[in-house]
Amino acid sequence: MGFSDFVGHKDARLALVLNAIEPRCGGVLFAGEKGSGKTTLARLFRRLLPEGTAFVTVPLNVTEEALLGTVDIEETINSGKKVVQRGLLSRADRGTLFIDDVNLLATESMSLILEVTGRGVNLMEREGISDRADANFLLIATMDPQEGFLSPHFLDRFGMCVLWEGLREKSERAQVVKTAMAGRFSGGTVPGPSDTLLRKRIENSRKVLEMVSVPDPVAEHIAQTCLENAVSGHRAELFLYYATKAYAAYRGDKIASTSHVDAVAPLILVHRTREVVPHEEEALHDHDRERQEKEKQSQPKEMGDENRAGSTEPARTENHDPSDTDGSDQIDPLASPRESARKEEVFDTGETFHTRRLSFRKDKLRRTASGRRTRTRSKDKGGRYVRSILTGERDVAIDATIRAAAPYQHLRNRHHRLVIHEHDLRYKQREKKTGHLVIFAVDGSGSMGARRRMTATKGAIQSLLMDCYQKRDKVAMLVFRKTGAEIVLPPTSSVEHASRRLKEVPTGGKTPLSAGLLEAHDLIKRYGKKAPETRFLLVIITDGRANHTLSDLPARQEIQRIARLLREIPSTDYVVLDTEDKSTFLKADLAVPLATHLGARYFTIEDLKAEYLVEMVKREKDGG
Amino acid sequence: MSVFPFTAIVGQEQMKLSLVLNVINPSIGGVLIMGEKGTAKSTAVRSLAELLPELEVTQGCAFNCNPQGFLCNSCRDTLAVEGSLQTETRRMRVVELPLGVTEDRLVGTLDIEHAIKQGEKRFEPGILAEANRNFLYVDEVNLLEDHIVDLLLDAAAMGVNTVEREGVSFVHPARFILVGTMNPEEGDLRPQFLDRFGLCVRIESLQERSARKEILKRRAAFDADVDAFLCRWEEEQQTLSGKIVRAQQRLQSIEIPEEALDKIVDITAALSLDGHRGDIVTMRTAQALAALRNHAVMGTDDVRDAAQLALRHRMKRLPFEEIGLEFERLQSALAGL
Repeated sequence: MGFSDFVGHKDARLALVLNAIEPRCGGVLFAGEKGSGKTTLARLFRRLLPEGTAFVTVPLNVTEEALLGTVDIEETINSGKKVVQRGLLSRADRGTLFIDDVNLLATESMSLILEVTGRGVNLMEREGISDRADANFLLIATMDPQEGFLSPHFLDRFGMCVLWEGLREKSERAQVVKTAMAGRFSGGTVPGPSDTLLRKRIENSRKVLEMVSVPDPVAEHIAQTCLENAVSGHRAELFLYYATKAYAAYRGDKIASTSHVDAVAPLILVHRTREVVPHEEEALHDHDRERQEKEKQSQPKEMGDENRAGSTEPARTENHDPSDTDGSDQIDPLASPRESARKEEVFDTGETFHTRRLSFRKDKLRRTASGRRTRTRSKDKGGRYVRSILTGERDVAIDATIRAAAPYQHLRNRHHRLVIHEHDLRYKQREKKTGHLVIFAVDGSGSMGARRRMTATKGAIQSLLMDCYQKRDKVAMLVFRKTGAEIVLPPTSSVEHASRRLKEVPTGGKTPLSAGLLEAHDLIKRYGKKAPETRFLLVIITDGRANHTLSDLPARQEIQRIARLLREIPSTDYVVLDTEDKSTFLKADLAVPLATHLGARYFTIEDLKAEYLVEMVKREKDGG
Repeated sequence: MSVFPFTAIVGQEQMKLSLVLNVINPSIGGVLIMGEKGTAKSTAVRSLAELLPELEVTQGCAFNCNPQGFLCNSCRDTLAVEGSLQTETRRMRVVELPLGVTEDRLVGTLDIEHAIKQGEKRFEPGILAEANRNFLYVDEVNLLEDHIVDLLLDAAAMGVNTVEREGVSFVHPARFILVGTMNPEEGDLRPQFLDRFGLCVRIESLQERSARKEILKRRAAFDADVDAFLCRWEEEQQTLSGKIVRAQQRLQSIEIPEEALDKIVDITAALSLDGHRGDIVTMRTAQALAALRNHAVMGTDDVRDAAQLALRHRMKRLPFEEIGLEFERLQSALAGL
């Protein structure tokens, strides 16, 4: 099967063609469900490029040596000179670097790739080698947003993004199946007749491209389009500019027009609009909402698909049925005070305090006193090569080994090959950041609003965030309220970001506690796939008054089941922070059974503050 | 590959100024540029290279030793044997520190080839050697590995790189101007590291349509014909490098009146800053500003503008207090001037 025979997905094909014409379009990211042909199409891209153009695939388990380059062991030992073995990034120069499931690639690897992309040069300063090689490549990647996140920073580096929707059209689907039956997906690398034609057209377009001019009003239109979509930074404009020119060239037009801009704009804008908090409007008071409406009217264009694309998390749709918020659905007779359930408010963050330590229990020994990230020595070859050590297995640090052997070569009567003795051998000590991810699952239901308890709760969360900051943990936050749960803060190491989001957390509606737990479960699973060494701490902040379920089961039973699911996840600890006001005799202590089901440690907000010092001392003693 | 000219970058005046001030007075100690993605941060730093002046160094020295300053082991040996040091001039550089750097290349290590051929241990200089008296640039500085940051901090604190590895001992000066760019959304910077940056600027994308259009136009012109574009900006570039050289010459003769010092101390006291680095950096920056503006005497405006650049990242704040808030406090402290 050829590129041109690919069924459907016009946008995706256009994006690739434009990049083939003008590599400054900045590469493409395909975001969509599994098994929908993303990878197949991306691989077919090489059919559009002149023969001999590099097409390098980055495997997910790639090591930093493989990416950046390392010592060529054979050559070095044979010649006694340092010889570089070029890394994937240098090998992709003037070609394409393809990353399948880019959101599952370790963050460290991603940082290395993007740094080199930005510079266009691979500066290698590693393992005794200093080398500089061009690394100008087109980045093409795929991701399934359900599998994990990609930070906006990384997203921004992709010139274009295509939201890949499965084909719904019956005839199209049938055609895909037919192609598959004919076994034509795995055709050779020789392009068929239609691809040859397309390649010709691309070659021609490249020639036209040099002549394409962008008149002033069109440049202005580009700037305006980017402003309207509230993109951050100026990369979007440049990418849009190059894409417009490429599109004009593809159409055979020597003068770019605003319609060219509009045709390609969605490809460039879909993933880079300023991160919008999903359902932001709901978080606002009514009068604020009105104000926002007005502002919107003054903006001629709507943000369109941005919610979908900006957050890698597919936002759960909430229905706006007014009966949602009235809290009359009595699943639990002890449901929240009704008057507050109807209102929707955004409470400020209350006073902060020093918190009792919420440590990762299973991990005490490995955590350093200064509270920085835990380092685990990785057994496989993943992780950063930190230094060489005298003992190890298999993972030889050739640079250090040669350095150890080098001074003795004369004594050992070297003729050709280096003479390396067993005691020269050095091994790589590698470190992986076992990130700690602290997930805050916050109850945003109306009952939390009673007596401004949310203010105190936010104060408590803020205090815990402070602790996370000191320990350099990553944090994520999800809120459950009304009929569902949503991630308001995907995992980040910016605590500043987190506290801003915390401020925005609204209160109002019912308590879908089980939805919150399930969302947390999914998040942990997803994130664990990407960073398998991560340790999780799930902090559930609620009064436990669950009154909205996902299934027909009674709330308690449903919670019990999800709690069981959660407990099956290894390397996760749980804390339940009970926000119920314990001073009244009406207290129901509904969060207590939740803690029991989860095997969680249980605190009230007061507990968190009280006996801070006493607890600390005790802990130290126990530890010693 | 040609670099986009520094002077052709649209807007972002604070960022450009902070870089220029560091060229004029390297003892300011660098700048941290925080900002959104895609705001010409890296472009600015890389293009700075074109504007850098020349340095006087001891001849053939791999460590750019200042003949009048702290000397590396080999220059000391030469001095001991020959009684004097020959000098040469080199252009100041922007040395890049890639994220994937390993320890041995950062600090330097045993020279393998020399050891194999001669059976003799010799030191092979690393990036810290290259960076001595030059700019050391770290893109995405907040993503740098902790063990590398530790080494950088060590060298920055002492101004010296002391190596004891693989049986090689070596000491050489490592005074670099640390420039980092980062996107704060990607994570924070350790406070000790933050403190090492002389200045800090926070930049945002330009919101005026005309400015955005101008960016596109210049980029288009650059792409269409690099040489013609560079030629068109040559004069601007020359003017700026001329200004920098003259400011450098004036720097030491800038008069620093008592009142100026009082003002600096007033500001830092009002902000109740820890330590004295803030005071010192503010003074050095104000000095460079005065030199750039052709003032004979350091004025109030020099102090005020310097404080804006030098103090922003030194103010006490809760870990996640927004930088905007501090900025207001800084403004109100400066309003008293």
